[in-house]
Amino acid sequence: MTSRPNKQKLPEKQAALEIRGLGRIFHSDLGSTVRALQDIDLTVCSGEFLTLVGATGCGKTTLLNLIAGFETPDEGFIRLSDNLQFGENIAYVFQHYTLFPWRTVSRNVGFAMEMHGISRRRRKQKTIELLSKVGLTGFENAYAHELSGGMRQRAAIAQALAMQPKLLLMDEPFGAVDDSTRTELQQMITELWQENHTTIIFVTHNIDEAIVLGSRVLVLSERPGRIAHEYKIDLPRPRNRLAKEFTNLFIEIRTALSGQLD
Amino acid sequence: MSKEELKISKSRNYSKLIRWVAGPVILLLIWQAAAHYYNQPWIFPSVTRVLSQLAHPLRQHYASGSLLSNTLISLLRVILGFSLAAVVGVTLGIVMGSVTFIRDIIEPVIELLRPLCPIAWLPFAIVVFKLRTLPQLFGIDYSHTIFDQVQLGMIFVIFVGGFFPVLTNTLDGVTGVRRNYLLLAKTLGASRRQIFFHVYLPASMPMILTGLRQGLGLCWFVIIAAEMMTGGDSGIGYLLIYASDNSAMDIVIAAMLIIGAVGALLAFLMRRIMHSFVSWKPKEV
Repeated sequence: MTSRPNKQKLPEKQAALEIRGLGRIFHSDLGSTVRALQDIDLTVCSGEFLTLVGATGCGKTTLLNLIAGFETPDEGFIRLSDNLQFGENIAYVFQHYTLFPWRTVSRNVGFAMEMHGISRRRRKQKTIELLSKVGLTGFENAYAHELSGGMRQRAAIAQALAMQPKLLLMDEPFGAVDDSTRTELQQMITELWQENHTTIIFVTHNIDEAIVLGSRVLVLSERPGRIAHEYKIDLPRPRNRLAKEFTNLFIEIRTALSGQLD
Repeated sequence: MSKEELKISKSRNYSKLIRWVAGPVILLLIWQAAAHYYNQPWIFPSVTRVLSQLAHPLRQHYASGSLLSNTLISLLRVILGFSLAAVVGVTLGIVMGSVTFIRDIIEPVIELLRPLCPIAWLPFAIVVFKLRTLPQLFGIDYSHTIFDQVQLGMIFVIFVGGFFPVLTNTLDGVTGVRRNYLLLAKTLGASRRQIFFHVYLPASMPMILTGLRQGLGLCWFVIIAAEMMTGGDSGIGYLLIYASDNSAMDIVIAAMLIIGAVGALLAFLMRRIMHSFVSWKPKEV
């Protein structure tokens, strides 16, 4: 793992992670520099479903990768709560290449348990349980290339859940599936979240998705990426896309995003 | 499938078989006719003379052994040398691919030695290893088995032949492993050692197997050439050159046919192993 700033006691008891003055600068080979993120201040509460929206290239994936420890910040810091541990309970779901293509679905789901030395029997039992949870019973022995895009993401979510994550990071996980599958997957992840109350940070460029899923939506501005707007969403779940509050919020966020484009 | 369709597909299979066999049969007929016409069997033996040699693989040829025994000696040398090349090449390839520091140190040396023809190593290897054999390495002077024919110099030259294709393909495979898979394994809690065995190794397996197939093919080339050099005393390559010195062209051609057949068999077996090993096929999604 890359080095991280020392963990300090968090002021709020239920804060899962705290970000202060975070910045990330990329240097191209030609010598030019691009500020991907600037002055990000953010506190994520434990059990929160946070969604991040923004145009392509606004740095939302970079922010997620910084939290995951894949990259190191150039400015500021990220402080994780004491019970969060890399390789133990922080899971990440990618958009592509989410499964190891040389492993079957059940061996993919069992990967984290295998790495932690959990017995084969326990693994098998847990895998069956997880696969039924994500609706993939009967596909235990399939390989990734034999599955549809939606099924691959289901398997990837089961793979992440197998480590019983306290923090789940998702980078446009439903970006490559068709609309109806996307709706199903959104329903599934909502139910899983309601069941476990895992802290989720979910990156998407789809405003509708951000509102359907999030208990809070952050809108990121473009170059440098900053938190431009923040919306608390108290709408009851499952959320009705046709409700007045929903559409109003949609228009508001849409306007905020297009304002940046002009 | 209806009866009619069955008939058609059967007749198609037959016609394919006929086409497959036609080429070699025509070649053999021309050969036989030409041999008859020239009637100089010490230069151009007939098919029947060569076949009669192949039909008696245990016949002793002067002091050099039989077709079969020499083939087995060559095969044993190749299997031993190639196994060594496979283990060292794959291990070093994965280590070089995953640790940049080691790669930077070793790669220039590899690039310098790689273009060198493996046979060019033979005089050096024979001087260094003298004519020491495998049993002598373990302190046994003479084991009275086929292993007494396995000289360390020969093993070394085969090792050199197989090592480079295995190494370079493994290296390509490892450096081609997607960063995503490494990150995924890391977040799921894999240690460095586990990433080595559960990500680098399986992800580069298709390339490793390609390297092994190329390497084995090259080893079989190299052993024949090495045995034909002065200083050889056994092996199918040695028998070939020995027979040629004695104007026994029928044995020369029989040996050539055996070398070709064994080479094809090795390639076929490797392909088979490859298919069963990477059942997932390199399909990334």
